[in-house]
Amino acid sequence: MGAVKIGVISCSGEDCLGGTISRLATRKIIEEMPQGDAVTLCLPLFIAGGEEERGFAAAHPTITVDGCNKWCAKRATERLSGKVSDVVQVADIIGNEAAEGPVISTRNISPEHLEMVDKVAEEIRVKFDRIAESYIGKALQIKGF
Amino acid sequence: MSSMSKKVKVIPCSGIGKVHGLLAREMGLRVVNEICPQEAETECLAYIVTGDQEIIDLIKESKCVTIDGCPKMCAAKSVTELGGTVAQEFRVVDALKEYRGMKPGSVTALNDAGWKIVDETAEKISARVREIYGEE
Repeated sequence: MGAVKIGVISCSGEDCLGGTISRLATRKIIEEMPQGDAVTLCLPLFIAGGEEERGFAAAHPTITVDGCNKWCAKRATERLSGKVSDVVQVADIIGNEAAEGPVISTRNISPEHLEMVDKVAEEIRVKFDRIAESYIGKALQIKGF
Repeated sequence: MSSMSKKVKVIPCSGIGKVHGLLAREMGLRVVNEICPQEAETECLAYIVTGDQEIIDLIKESKCVTIDGCPKMCAAKSVTELGGTVAQEFRVVDALKEYRGMKPGSVTALNDAGWKIVDETAEKISARVREIYGEE
C-alpha cells in the first residue's frame, strides 16, 4: 500500500496464551508488510512518558490486538491516546478456552501455536487492508478523483 | 489471574520493538513459571496500563519486581504510576553488560545466546525474588 501508516498495538499479555499469540501475530505483520506501512508501539510506553507514541496513535489509524476479553490494548490505547480504528480479539479466532490457557514461552511454541499466529495475523492483515483502502479512497476524493 | 496473595509480582515490559523486550518477557516467564512458581506470579503489564481499579488494588497490596528491556523503564513506571511498590528494578541493558559481543536474536525469536542470557539472568532475578518473598 504505502499510502498510510497504521499502528498495530498488541497487548502482549503475560498471563495467558492469547497474549503470546497477540504478540507473535503482531510481529509477523510488522515483518511481512512493506517497511513503514505497519508500525508497532509498546503499549506501556503510553504511560511511561511516550509522547511520541501517544501522538502517533492519536494522529494515525490504529488496530489493537487483544489476547483475552479484558481488552487491555484497546482500552489502554483509548484511555491514553485516542479511539482505535479497529480491533482484533484473539479469543474470537482461536477460541476462548485456548486463549485463556497458560501463557507459553516462545521456547515452547508448537506448530499448532504457529497456526494460531497465522490465523490472527491474517485477521490483522484483512483489517489493515480495509483501513488502508478507506484512507486511499478518502485521499482520492479530496483530490477530486 | 491471581487473587490477593503474598507472592511477589514479577512484571516484565514485554516490549515489542527490540529484542530487549523479548528478553525481559522470557526472563519473567522463566522466573514465575519454572524457577520460583511458589514465590512469584505475574500480572499483565497491559492490564496495569488500563488503570482498572481491580489491578490498582492488587498492585498496591503487592511487592513488585519489574524487568525492563530499555531505559524507558515502562514496567517500573507503570507500577509506580498505580501506587505500587517496586521492590527491585531489573534492566536488561544492565544484564547485557555481562555478555558483551553476544547477539541474543531478534525481537521475534531468541537464539542460543539469547536463551543463555535469559536462563542465567532469570536465576539472579529469582534469587532476589526469594529474598523479597521472605521479607516481612
